[in-house]
Amino acid sequence: MADASAGGFPDDYPTIDPTSFDVVVCGTGLPESILAAACAAAGKTVLHVDPNPFYGSLYSSVPLPSLPSFLSPGSSAPCPPPSTETSSPASHSAVHLDHRCLYSEVETSGTIPEPSNRFTVDLVGPRVLYCADEAVDLLLRSGGNNHVEFKSVEGGSLLYWDGALYPVPDSKGAIFMDSTLKPGMKTLLFSFFKLVESHIAAEGEGEASGKISEEDLDLPFVEFLKKQRLPPKISAVMLYAIAMADYDQDAADSCEKLLTTRDGIKSIALYLSSIKRFANAEGAFIYPMYGHGELPQAFCRFAAVKGALYVLRMPVTALLLDQEKKRYIGTRLASGQDILCQQLILDPSFKIPSLEIPSDVSDSNSPRKVARGICITSSSIKQGKSSVLVVFPPKSLQEQQAAAVRVLQLSSNVAVCPPGMFMAYLSTPCTDAFLGKQCINKAIEVLFSAQGSDDSEGHLETTSENIENAKPTLIWNCVYVQEITQGTSGTVLSCPMPDENLDYRNILESTKKLFADTYPDEEFLPRNSAPKYADDDSDSAE
Amino acid sequence: MAANSGNKIRNAKLVLLGDVGAGKSSLVLRFVKGQFVEFQESTIGAAFFSQTLAVNDETVKFEIWDTAGQERYHSLAPMYYRGAAAAIVVYDISNQASFTRAKKWVQELQAQGNQNTVVALAGNKADLVETRQVQIEEAKTYAQENGLFFMETSAKTATNVNDIFYEIAKRLLQGQAAQNPQAGMILSQRPNERVVSASSCCS
Repeated sequence: MADASAGGFPDDYPTIDPTSFDVVVCGTGLPESILAAACAAAGKTVLHVDPNPFYGSLYSSVPLPSLPSFLSPGSSAPCPPPSTETSSPASHSAVHLDHRCLYSEVETSGTIPEPSNRFTVDLVGPRVLYCADEAVDLLLRSGGNNHVEFKSVEGGSLLYWDGALYPVPDSKGAIFMDSTLKPGMKTLLFSFFKLVESHIAAEGEGEASGKISEEDLDLPFVEFLKKQRLPPKISAVMLYAIAMADYDQDAADSCEKLLTTRDGIKSIALYLSSIKRFANAEGAFIYPMYGHGELPQAFCRFAAVKGALYVLRMPVTALLLDQEKKRYIGTRLASGQDILCQQLILDPSFKIPSLEIPSDVSDSNSPRKVARGICITSSSIKQGKSSVLVVFPPKSLQEQQAAAVRVLQLSSNVAVCPPGMFMAYLSTPCTDAFLGKQCINKAIEVLFSAQGSDDSEGHLETTSENIENAKPTLIWNCVYVQEITQGTSGTVLSCPMPDENLDYRNILESTKKLFADTYPDEEFLPRNSAPKYADDDSDSAE
Repeated sequence: MAANSGNKIRNAKLVLLGDVGAGKSSLVLRFVKGQFVEFQESTIGAAFFSQTLAVNDETVKFEIWDTAGQERYHSLAPMYYRGAAAAIVVYDISNQASFTRAKKWVQELQAQGNQNTVVALAGNKADLVETRQVQIEEAKTYAQENGLFFMETSAKTATNVNDIFYEIAKRLLQGQAAQNPQAGMILSQRPNERVVSASSCCS
């Protein structure tokens, strides 16, 4: 293969060869990377470009010092001068691509401890993987499990209730160990989990006995829990810490936000099977070493192994429009080179110029948002544990708190910060940016004491060991609001933004749907598509 | 990645670096399969290979990562370098530009990798003496100055191919330095099976 112009370390934009592909993907966020992998696995020729010198786009993990440039509008993507509309020789013209503003209300305080570049920040935080969820399956299917290592969220979950943090009794072991539960309550909990487990087992075997009745499955989950005589605190554990409901189930104003027993049980089933999935994982959740930015890299590598061509530091500036057919037929790179393709896949930071946009992209009625927070402390929320989840149920922080606030604390054992430091991520879905941020700030106040405060109130009851834990001191924090956009399919496909959830299930579902819309006849990352390794003796392959 | 003492097998991730066409994949194929293909296509289809090598009473199990073409436009991911115990930077002795770029890859490796990585410089296509552009002395001097060890190899004739891997294995075993103490767990393909922790290991 001729490679005169190839090879790395370009000061100028390289010339891409060939100049025509089945698919061009711009941006290396998780959905784009998975789509690149799926397209390459389906035998499509793929060009995958990213304007940044690193992988991950809106799903990356960035060194903390570069976070501000990511969050402040305008500076995220160096916009080259609009390509002059010199219509190209052919019958197509270039339509300039704009970026949308995705982050707002950015507020930081405190000083980043040195060495500041040893802190790596997830743009998707707080986020984890269930041991038994689709993300793990995709990693296994694509061989990505060879590239990314994980650690358990070994501290389990805590629920904020009546002004204190309580351990979440999410398994038989946890119930047994929990000193805050009365014996009668333990019995109730054991029998509730047993009920769920026998329902799952019966469903698996298609048997009627042991199953929860259809009638009950259609009930709101909150009603079902009352029927099981679970008291409010335990109901809250089930609803918000295990079934992961976000909105107030006691006052749900729309059935959209109301969890049915069917869905509640399904979530609990996933949780329980996650606990059992890997023998030496502790708990239901795992976190990728070095941060979530590793995941897109794993799928990009898979795509590369399947033949996709990778070019970082290569912005796209315009879409190529076929004037007659009113159809996009390619893209113009920052180098000025035009690349033709059948299918364009863009990361959600692009505004797709209207022309063929499906009408359901009406962002008019208050777009969904998520308020996020990032905190640095030098001690753990849960003594002796490096990683832990915390959930603040709706209304637990203030009356106007419409949705649960979720927190994930990490430590240096996942290589995202220096030893002795902790990072906590917070998020809550919101429609009003101000209220969303207010809830995040309240949760920060509850969990941490401000630096320089005299700590007179600086403790928070953690009832697990009946010890009053000193609140960790907040060293640095950043709170901001992020837009959430949905994926849209079409000749120019737009990928979904990182959503408000703790896991990737919705993002993966919509990514799969985008692929199915685009290539209805192709299988999405077939099970046996993992690269075969030339290795005979062992455990590592397949 | 780390090894226990005793009758040990030491797992070591080894990455290949170098320009398109320098012969990275050919070196690996020669080492792992004993094969050589004259007009090897650009790398498609292999994510990594593994091969064990015995050194005295110890064994090194290499996990060899090829670039999958991501080096072509200088787009290798940090993931590629992570936890690499060893690296072979490959150039083509009949192509001066590939040597110049090999030096850039060494810099890149020093920036991205960890300090304990054993780095080998391979002047490949040593069979092409008639069109040689890079002199042995030049490469040797460069290697010495940068703490690499150097060999000229030929994937075609198999010259020095096993030797370079053997030398890496020896150096890995000598420098038993504590490696990546933070290894996490690797997800197992088979559900309900024990997750292999990278730090505890087969023996």
